[in-house]
Amino acid sequence: MIDISLQKPTSATTSEDRLQQAVDTVNQIIMGKEQQVKLAFSCLLARGHLLIEDLPGVGKTTLAHALATVIGARYQRIQFTSDLLPADILGISIYRRDQEKFEFHPGPIFSELVLADEVNRATPKSQSALLEAMAEGQVTIEGETHILPKPFFVIATQNPLDLAGTFPLPDSQLDRFLLSISLGFPDPRIERELLTARDRASVLEDTPPSLHPEDVMQLNESCRQIHVSEALLDYVQALLAETRNSRWFESGLSPRAGIALLQCCKAFAFLEGRDFAIPEDVKAVFPALTRHRMTVPHGMEKSVEEQISGLMGQVAIP
Amino acid sequence: MSKAGRFSLDRLGILWMIATLGISMFPQLLSMPVHLVPITLLPIAWRLLAEFRHWPPVPIILRIIATIIAVTALVMTFGGLMGRSAAVSLLVLMLSLKLLETFSVRDVRVVTSLSLFLCATQFLFSQGIMMIIYIIASLLSALISLMYAHRREAFEGLSEAPDTGRDLFTELSFGMRLMVLALPIGLTLFMLFPRWSSPLWGVPEDALDARSGLSDSMSPGSIQGLFMDDSPAFRATFQGSLPSRSDLYWRGPVFWDFDGTTWKAGYLIRNLLADSKPELKRAQFRYEIQMEPTEQRWLFTLDYPALVPTGTRLSMDYQLITNQPITQLRTYAMASDPGFRDNPDLKLPLLRAALELPQGFNPRTARMIAEWRAETPSDGAMIQRALAYFNQQNFHYTLNPPLLSRHTVDEFLFNTRQGFCEHYASAFTVMMRMAGIPARIVTGYQGGWYNNLGSYILVRQSDAHAWSEVWSKGTGWIRVDPTAAVAPERVEQGSVDSLAQRRHMLDFAWLLHARNTFDLLQRGWNNWVVAFDSVKQSRLFTNFGWGFFDSMKLVIAMIAGILVAAAASFLLMPLILKLRSSRHQDPLVRLWQKFNRKLGKAGFTTNPSMGPRELATMAGGQLKYADEGINRIAELYILCRYSPTDGDPAELAALIKGFHPPQQS
Repeated sequence: MIDISLQKPTSATTSEDRLQQAVDTVNQIIMGKEQQVKLAFSCLLARGHLLIEDLPGVGKTTLAHALATVIGARYQRIQFTSDLLPADILGISIYRRDQEKFEFHPGPIFSELVLADEVNRATPKSQSALLEAMAEGQVTIEGETHILPKPFFVIATQNPLDLAGTFPLPDSQLDRFLLSISLGFPDPRIERELLTARDRASVLEDTPPSLHPEDVMQLNESCRQIHVSEALLDYVQALLAETRNSRWFESGLSPRAGIALLQCCKAFAFLEGRDFAIPEDVKAVFPALTRHRMTVPHGMEKSVEEQISGLMGQVAIP
Repeated sequence: MSKAGRFSLDRLGILWMIATLGISMFPQLLSMPVHLVPITLLPIAWRLLAEFRHWPPVPIILRIIATIIAVTALVMTFGGLMGRSAAVSLLVLMLSLKLLETFSVRDVRVVTSLSLFLCATQFLFSQGIMMIIYIIASLLSALISLMYAHRREAFEGLSEAPDTGRDLFTELSFGMRLMVLALPIGLTLFMLFPRWSSPLWGVPEDALDARSGLSDSMSPGSIQGLFMDDSPAFRATFQGSLPSRSDLYWRGPVFWDFDGTTWKAGYLIRNLLADSKPELKRAQFRYEIQMEPTEQRWLFTLDYPALVPTGTRLSMDYQLITNQPITQLRTYAMASDPGFRDNPDLKLPLLRAALELPQGFNPRTARMIAEWRAETPSDGAMIQRALAYFNQQNFHYTLNPPLLSRHTVDEFLFNTRQGFCEHYASAFTVMMRMAGIPARIVTGYQGGWYNNLGSYILVRQSDAHAWSEVWSKGTGWIRVDPTAAVAPERVEQGSVDSLAQRRHMLDFAWLLHARNTFDLLQRGWNNWVVAFDSVKQSRLFTNFGWGFFDSMKLVIAMIAGILVAAAASFLLMPLILKLRSSRHQDPLVRLWQKFNRKLGKAGFTTNPSMGPRELATMAGGQLKYADEGINRIAELYILCRYSPTDGDPAELAALIKGFHPPQQS
């Protein structure tokens, strides 16, 4: 487990500027993945948790690390394994002989940014310990409630292919993640740069934080102020209604997912530097919001991604 | 069948479909062999129970077995599947069995459509106005059933159908709206559909077998059934003066040959044509007759017909005989001259035929006539004496006379003395022939019901009558109605009214009025719908200046018309739908659509699911020369439509107006 020591944020005037600087910084580290980086920041600004589903080695951990670095958050990584126990995540109470009482030792979850690596390798018991903490923002151990820090941001990774010995997360728990992204392989041009440039880890070490955790809280607030027009709401509703048509998915998006969609959309618009949301914002976040929540009906030879883009192509923008 | 589990049909739709089927097959059930009725009703009952108790579908094996049983029962009943009754029964049975495998909307459509077809087959049996009520009932029921089924189909996949349309009234009114939309097409097809002078599909010869009417022979008792039958025989509309009631003898089949029990026309005589016919200019009555189909060949006229409609001939005894049986409503104009002298000279064979009697029948009558003849040598006196005999002796007019055996005239004259027109006419004619006076029997209708609403005379089957004609040299044939001697009110009031037990029932003024009104409606239906034949159709076309259309040209024109309509709807419908859906309330959106259309003309096809910025990027990529303009418009549109600080729609309108990308060649 790595503990990043807090560094002072660089001096940019407003929190918006500092956010822009943070995004730029991450983009310098994770090269060629602007859209995914933007989505990751949207998720952060919408106070959601992020799920990254991808193969090993494409930069999942680096992205999480970079995010932690630029927002100046305390960062913990938990490698999920099949023998991981809930106490390994949440912490444990140890009896102190000298003081003749139990003392709570907080687990890695008590950080502002937690990277839950390969979250589907752990047993459901451990998974739910994490996911409950994500939902509640607090941890209750032996009758004592411990508040988690704010902001509290979990990035979980999953390997979608290597399924042997894994416990796939149930739908109800996947719903705790606001967005799910996959990074994918880089362009040949970017890959050449990766091969020739400095090691990412050492770049990260030299990177100063752009934001302060308090900034994140303030930016969260700003995102809520983004204007959403009636026309845009019509579009969001049309999309939600279309997901409930059985030709796309087993079941449609819930109203909670609808609210989440709108929040992400506002955050995305905010990142774009606008004070109002447009249909393109919805279209940008919709796949990331939908893909881990939906399943394709039985017997349909289509991937979720294909269905999502097909669906978006069918819904006219009002 | 594999759809069984997947598709849940709307239960209301199913129930209405069963109702449609029930209404359609009801008349058929009445005429089907009795033992087939339970087999037909069983699947319907099963389906109803299955709907309410949520039974699973019948396995395919059982369905096949049920079908085999049904067909076997049919074949055993009818000895095959050919013939009208067998075919209709087969249709009814199979439709009922179809309920066992009605799983999808398509099945509902099949069952309701075939039910309507079944309904339409009833038109082969009757084309009366009452059919409309029956057809409307099944049509409405079918409409509701289809509405329910299709609404379910339209919303398949949505978790629930919208609330609207769950109630009967909405379904019905929506269905009626669709019907009203379809009405012009239906009317056009009705008017333009090619009609041949005979029906396209051969109506079977026995189609109207259950219909009552005069037949080509008469044995006392055969007319009895007619008296209770109030269905219309024909309607006569007079131009000018009406004949008096006692002149209303509608001439039909004339009988010469008597074999002791039955009177027949005699082939030869019927095929002799009249030597002379009344002159039209002397005809006293001019009228038009609209005649219900009889399956027979007689047209009814008053004495004596001065017109011979096409396709008919006038026989020597002034029967108007058609070349083809009358299987559909027929209208003909007629003129009659009652003063015409019918064959003042009779050729010897005919004279002989008018005197011929079978040997060994009615000896008592023969003795009595021989006695009379000795006392009264004059023919006229003889006739008067016979009529007086009927009048003064204790003869009764009744519709329920006792049966007569071998010597029908003897028994009637001396024992029973009860009978109706046939008995009197037959007895009188036999008496005349015994006395050496040439005589024959004429059947037809007498009287009629004057409908003062429509100013026409309705003659019903119950007005059927039989009377005699006697011949004397110089004067020719003269009508003598012996029934009038016994029951003058029969001639004065009509047969039904002359019977005490039914008299007062018809005396209510309102009933009279209702009957008149109903018959007027029926006549209108006949005139405008049933009688719309090839002649009326071509008359209509002539009015429009399309007189050159005959049936064949009409067929070609219709096929061409249908093709053009189909092509037009295929080509135009998407355009219309596009226009309709693109007509948006919001002026901003209309501006944006205008912009999209301009882009379309420039060669960039837009898609409604594109966001404005996405569109600008793609269009700009393709139409590089216009990139900047496109971007400006898109950004301004975004500001106007999505931003709280309003962009200026007027500026957007101006920009779009000024946007002229080069048209794609």
